[in-house]
Amino acid sequence: MTQLDGPGASDPVSVPFTPGMRDNPEELAAIPDEIVRAHVLPPGPTRSQEFSEQWRNAAYSCFSSGHKFCREVCPVTQVTRNESWTPTAFHANVVAMDKGEMTIEEIAADYVNCTQCGACELRCPNTLFTGDFYRFRTRTVDVVKAVRAFAVESGVHQPAWQSWNERTDERSHEPVLGQTAVSQEHVRDWSDGLDLPIGGETVLFVDCEAAFYRTSVPRAVAQILQLAGYEFGLMGNQWCCGGPAAEMGYVDQAKRFAQHNLDDWRSTGTKRLLVLDPHDYISFTEDYPKYFGADFDIEVVLVVELFAELIREGKLTPRVPVERAITYHDPCRLNKRKGIWKEPREILRSIPGLDFKDVDRVTQWSYCSGGGGGLPVEKPELTAAISASRLENAARLDVDTLVSACPWSERPLGEAGEAADIDVVDIHEMLAESLGIEVGGSRGGSEGSGARGGDRS
Amino acid sequence: MTIAVERLDELVTALRTVLRDEQILTSKPDRYNRARVPAPFPVHRWSERLPDLAVLPTSTEEVAGVVRIANDLRVPVVPRDGGTGLTDGAVPLRGGIVVDVKRMNAIKELDLANRTVTVGTGINMLKLNEQLARHGLFYPDDPASYPCSLVGGRIGTSGWSLIGSRYGHTRDLVLSFDHVLPTGEVMHVGDGVGHKVSKSSSGYQLKHLFMGHQGTLGIATAATLKLFPKPEAELSPFWAFDNYDDAYACVGALARAGAATFAGAVLFDEWKVAYLRRDDEAYIPQPGDVRALVCAVMYGYEDEVRPAGKRLFRIAKEHGARYLGDEISQGDWAARHDRYATPLHGRTKAGQVVPMSWHCEDAAINYTDLPSVTKSWHEIVADLRRRTDVFDDWGMFAYTSGSTGVDYLTEIDVGIWEQQLDDRAWEMWVKAKRDLAAVALAHHGSISACHGSCREGEVDLVPDELGRGFDVMLDIKRALDPNNIMNPGKYLLDRAYEAGTRS
Ligand SMILES: Cc1cc2nc3c(=O)[nH]c(=O)nc-3n(C[C@H](O)[C@H](O)[C@H](O)COP(=O)(O)OP(=O)(O)OC[C@H]3O[C@@H](n4cnc5c(N)ncnc54)[C@H](O)[C@@H]3O)c2cc1C
Ligand code: SF4
Repeated sequence: MTQLDGPGASDPVSVPFTPGMRDNPEELAAIPDEIVRAHVLPPGPTRSQEFSEQWRNAAYSCFSSGHKFCREVCPVTQVTRNESWTPTAFHANVVAMDKGEMTIEEIAADYVNCTQCGACELRCPNTLFTGDFYRFRTRTVDVVKAVRAFAVESGVHQPAWQSWNERTDERSHEPVLGQTAVSQEHVRDWSDGLDLPIGGETVLFVDCEAAFYRTSVPRAVAQILQLAGYEFGLMGNQWCCGGPAAEMGYVDQAKRFAQHNLDDWRSTGTKRLLVLDPHDYISFTEDYPKYFGADFDIEVVLVVELFAELIREGKLTPRVPVERAITYHDPCRLNKRKGIWKEPREILRSIPGLDFKDVDRVTQWSYCSGGGGGLPVEKPELTAAISASRLENAARLDVDTLVSACPWSERPLGEAGEAADIDVVDIHEMLAESLGIEVGGSRGGSEGSGARGGDRS
Repeated sequence: MTIAVERLDELVTALRTVLRDEQILTSKPDRYNRARVPAPFPVHRWSERLPDLAVLPTSTEEVAGVVRIANDLRVPVVPRDGGTGLTDGAVPLRGGIVVDVKRMNAIKELDLANRTVTVGTGINMLKLNEQLARHGLFYPDDPASYPCSLVGGRIGTSGWSLIGSRYGHTRDLVLSFDHVLPTGEVMHVGDGVGHKVSKSSSGYQLKHLFMGHQGTLGIATAATLKLFPKPEAELSPFWAFDNYDDAYACVGALARAGAATFAGAVLFDEWKVAYLRRDDEAYIPQPGDVRALVCAVMYGYEDEVRPAGKRLFRIAKEHGARYLGDEISQGDWAARHDRYATPLHGRTKAGQVVPMSWHCEDAAINYTDLPSVTKSWHEIVADLRRRTDVFDDWGMFAYTSGSTGVDYLTEIDVGIWEQQLDDRAWEMWVKAKRDLAAVALAHHGSISACHGSCREGEVDLVPDELGRGFDVMLDIKRALDPNNIMNPGKYLLDRAYEAGTRS
């Protein structure tokens, strides 16, 4: 009956053991191997193989599981049900390149289908259970970024991304208003009448979408800061953070933009950056440190976290009741990528009058607006479908308002909200309202609607 | 294996009469990503298993249209749903068309009075249950692949549910379904023909025939499923033992107790505990004196689960069990789907961490034969391991298959270092699979009980297991699929078309 009985008991491989334990018999490591060889790149490796060399272990780590636990949380998979556009396919293609089966030219277009929301990484058992222990999380977002960069480097372009980045380069800002010019001359238009200084120790960085399209968001933020007596200025010469270029694979451009911004902060003695957009927050906390290493010595403060703190300290007290039935949309880059989900809820709970129907953050792993990772530029129809599905989930809660904390999500969510008769409001705007602030500015809508997707030639 | 370009053009042209262009996928990544399942496969020979194209139908009519065209043009058809099957079932061996049914994932009808739901077969159980929860209901087909496998694949494999001792397995839970036959004809099949009937004795019992055939007899497109009240209480105690024998005796006693809320029991052997110990620090501590584990699961109302739990705790105690506490018990059961297949558990004998694939071989084995099968299976894997670090022993589980504990789904988990696979390593593996299956048969078990046994290696022994029954399989295959278009090459069913076979 007993498993350990029998002739095998003296052979170290026949008994249960935990490889790597110090008290294992030495013979274990000394047994000759018939198959295993050190990995060597094939002679005259292709460019694709050189690329896959850096990612092969990461890619195999997913390929080896291949169970696709990530799939049903992936926003693109949810609306397309296309197995070629699943997180695991992004790794499998790299394995195929490693095996010399496929080339970057063949796979590049598939990598458009990702919002870089990070849900797959969280849902992946490799990350959930042992990833951190082995310092080996599944990093699908990084793989997607790397493959996109490799594509651009190899001269393989996606047409809408290419022209988007060309125009961003021309104007130093993303062409979020289509043909309507956005540029350095207009970068501070959103703050008309607020009388904000330039430069200083703390500056507020406003992303392109908020600066030119949904100007109510930065106006709300600036006025709340003024109300709290928090000193800050605007950037002298602000360029796009470069994050979208990095997401679409235009790494050199991204770095150039980053360098410009860093130089500008240096020139105005800036030490602290206030950031209201989750995408910028990723750029400044992940991309910039990668580009500049220790040279990037700017403190990055997320406005939502700052506001929660100011409320906690009693420096801001929302008083005006906001009579709405709301639910909160966790922006992917806050909840999934950065683990920031408490503070926005703290803010919402401090606003009187709200009937807040919350959805827990884990359930929200499978929600996305579809507005990230350059998806709306190449595939606006997918973004719209993902937003519609997010609104469907909101509608089930019987709410009249969906609150987000990410300007890039608010355009597609707002458009989908019109169909579902649900208003999409930014958390900063809502807080401002409860603080009695008349915000002003534009919430996008008809004047800019569709420009992002509509003008992509 | 792929078909000639001119024929491919002809095929695509024909498919355009039933599908939109965007539903027909011909690119290389589209084909490569539908040529594998999580089971390790000879990745160095990936290109030999590609489909010529994949289609994404959205209705029964479209599926029927595709199959009709394929039958006319004599092109192989491979149904694919979640692509999580572990027997290469959804992997094409002869090229042809992969019919990927994932887009058929709608909830078509929820019948609260009769407690059924009718769904497209591309829906995932977890996703379905998210919707059902609002009505206080759930669909209890709960494989360890619950977050990723889909209803059509469950039908195709006639899979096994972790909580089947209480609720039944896929075959019991699926009441009936729409099915496209290999000729493209559509039928509805249930017990008898009823849509929502769970019992019928008119005619042959066809439902079983059209489940678990691994896509060799057609494609299920919409299924009506049995629903249960979402359980109010769940009790999932984990007990530790300092030896396998006591754990083994305990699991049998728990299953034989016949508690009505008993949904399943699992026995982890010493190798499995050693494997779990690899991430002690990463996850749960398994002290050195823990040599085997038993878990039992109960589902039901609070006031029935509690007393049944007491009874099972008493039985466990009598067998020398040490309760691991609520936190570990609940956490480990909640994680039951995810603890599989974490590739970084892979290690060489010397302890180097390497990405390995999880592969499981399984069989239904009578309770009394478990210890002997367990021992022989480990010996087979030890043999592999002695020769090379491509293989790693990840231990064994045994789960109750039925409420009385008559047999257990017995599974050995083997880590495979796919980056190192070559023809020689693959040969070793296929031989080992054959040997594992032979052990199961020698113990009067059924090989690869839930995952099907149609893959390279163990499939060779299917005729031995079924005897005369295998010839009946050939007869049925030939009758229903005269042109051998449905998933050809699987289950040795090509023999149905070889000269000299009985007609
Ligand atoms: C981590 C993990 C754990 C697992 N645990 C279990 C477990 O506990 N119990 C268990 O039973 N299985 C388990 N499996 C195996 C697998 O999940 C099951 O076999 C599942 O039923 C496959 O479903 P699928 O949707 O992925 O099907 P696929 O892999 O797509 O297909 C499986 C087979 O069914 C056929 N098929 C697919 N769709 C249809 C259709 N619509 N009509 C007819 N035939 C079709 C395919 O041709 C193929 O032969 C596990 C797998 C993984 C990765
Ligand atoms: S990304 Fe993670 S969850 Fe998805 S298939 Fe790969 S290993 Fe599995």
